[in-house]
Amino acid sequence: MEAFNSVVISQMPFLLGGLWVALQLLALLLILGLGLGLGIALMEVYGHWTLRWAGILFERIFRGIPALVLLLLFYYGVTEFIELSAFTSAVLALGLRSAAYQSQIFRGVIQAVPAGQMAAARALGMPKHKAVFHIILPQALRQAIGPWTNEFSSELKATSLAYVIGVVELTRQGRYIISSTQGNVLLVFAVVAALYFVANWLGNQLLYKLERSLALPGFETRRDD
Amino acid sequence: MLLQVENVQKSYGDTEILKGVSLGLSRGQSKVIMGPSGTGKSTLLRCINHLTLPDGGRVFLDGEELTPKNINKMREVLAFVFQDFNLFTHLRAIDNVQIGPEKIRGMKKKEARDLAMHELERVGLADRAHAYPAELSGGQQQRVSIARALAMQPKVILFDEPTSALDPELTGEVISVMSQLAADGMTMLVVSHEVNFARQAADEIIFMEGGEILEQGPPSKMFVDPQHKRTRQFLDVLGHEERGS
Amino acid sequence: MNDFVSFAAESLPEILQALPVTLSLWALAMAGGALLGLVFAWCRVYGPKPIYLAATVYVEIFRGTPMLVQLFFIYLGLPEIGIVLDPFTAAVVAIGLNTAAYQAEYFRGAIRSIPSGQMTAARAMGMTQLQGLRWIVLPQALRRVIPQWSNEAILELKYTSIAYAIGVSEITAKAEEIGYTTFRFFEVFVLLALVYIVLTSIVAQILQFVESWTTIPGLRS
Repeated sequence: MEAFNSVVISQMPFLLGGLWVALQLLALLLILGLGLGLGIALMEVYGHWTLRWAGILFERIFRGIPALVLLLLFYYGVTEFIELSAFTSAVLALGLRSAAYQSQIFRGVIQAVPAGQMAAARALGMPKHKAVFHIILPQALRQAIGPWTNEFSSELKATSLAYVIGVVELTRQGRYIISSTQGNVLLVFAVVAALYFVANWLGNQLLYKLERSLALPGFETRRDD
Repeated sequence: MLLQVENVQKSYGDTEILKGVSLGLSRGQSKVIMGPSGTGKSTLLRCINHLTLPDGGRVFLDGEELTPKNINKMREVLAFVFQDFNLFTHLRAIDNVQIGPEKIRGMKKKEARDLAMHELERVGLADRAHAYPAELSGGQQQRVSIARALAMQPKVILFDEPTSALDPELTGEVISVMSQLAADGMTMLVVSHEVNFARQAADEIIFMEGGEILEQGPPSKMFVDPQHKRTRQFLDVLGHEERGS
Repeated sequence: MNDFVSFAAESLPEILQALPVTLSLWALAMAGGALLGLVFAWCRVYGPKPIYLAATVYVEIFRGTPMLVQLFFIYLGLPEIGIVLDPFTAAVVAIGLNTAAYQAEYFRGAIRSIPSGQMTAARAMGMTQLQGLRWIVLPQALRRVIPQWSNEAILELKYTSIAYAIGVSEITAKAEEIGYTTFRFFEVFVLLALVYIVLTSIVAQILQFVESWTTIPGLRS
């Protein structure tokens, strides 16, 4: 119990600092993943067949490579050409990978919107891009929140891998504390794990509230539990 | 008495479904339970083989009481035919019939296979032995499920509305199998609306309403001159429906 | 390009030398995880309340925290209470425990998707719950679970790379080694990426084949 006080409480600021770095990394990579992923999804659904194959190729590559390897590739490899900090490498590596997963999510929900919706929009004289923006996406994106929550959880955990290329996020802070306090490994990692767990839970709750607030009558988003 | 049911009670929350039902079957007897929907007929059947645990009362098979300890052994010889057939989806017809003797009784594969084939012939489906349930019609599936029950060489067979889930054209094939079984001396307790079967094959009709047995007797009496007004009302209506009015 | 090809020709065999380590790590973790996952799935579907709760806690913890932290906890932390594991074993245990939690959820979903009438009919014939599971429910549930299980298997194959962080000599570690000796990091990691892509494609193909080979009419996923 004394260990708890002296180690955990005194070191908590460092741990929270690490968590903050992780959250920043998470936010940036998710934004990159979202923008790119949505773009690729739209390309795959509405674009020329060459674009479609390009999208599938992108997905295949970035989902077939382990996150760790992507991190190493960017930090050690790409820096041979362009100077990249560890944090930037992490954002790029994990962000591109997230884009591949998110494009799959978005493609799925876009294709799940009943064909009649697009038909009705076009019948009104709406050009395709407007129909996508005003009719398809509002429905599809609501449906996407569920699976996107899974992606959120997945990426939050993935930020821990940035440890390997030296980013001082939560996990690395944990190791620093262990070496500086010489011991308490189980305790520190338990606390680190708990912090991830809580962050994950909070994130899920927020996303769930978002989903609820966007709900429309007659349009229940199915949640598989 | 081969099957003895004593004072079985069952309630769900505040609602009393079975208010103390007793009945008995001698070897070779076929009895049909009839009555309005929701009067606990299916519940009674499920209580007899403890698929639903009764709140009170006792069940005896061949003099031995059914308890949680011996229930699996009892169920081996107390067969149950479901309204929804419940054939094992991942097994071909022949394997559905074979699995009981082979895996539960411990029969050798070849013996079990031969037995299964024999029972399938008995219900007229030897030629569809290798079909999967999804490839069979409702009537065929139900006949396979009867073959599956027969392969266990049961002392008693319980039928829970065996034709209610079938299209009208398909009920005939199942009814004729059941009639043949009755004629061959199988001991059967059947919950059903099928008046023709009841009239021809049953030794006794049991009329249930409101969770208790109102009246019972041979078809000759129950369909012609029953004691209770409710019995007459119900069976009369059934009779009219059957005659295709 | 030629430069890369000749580099690849030299380095690829070296990287592949470590492939058995990667594959055995993966196979052991998946096998252990499957068995454990089935047990936890049973706890969550059929178990009495306390067992159900214990299994739920396990699943929530292992799915809600990063695998790297779990790995460090096991490799660096357990020695504090006297359990010392070599890196390879620690990795197998960590990855195995982690995948067990995910597999438990997939198995649970698949078991629950099988109509209850199947188990009822099995019990009505005199089968015990275990017999009903073994011969009736699981054969169907396991077929249903193949697509998700395949995804999980491929995911874990990629996750074997984290073992590198505690010094296991699998293919990622090998590639880094080559990087440090040749200073051609970009090329070696591109090569490594290609190896993973080929590996995962092969595994995906095999599992796809298994799925079609075990399909039964009337038993859609």
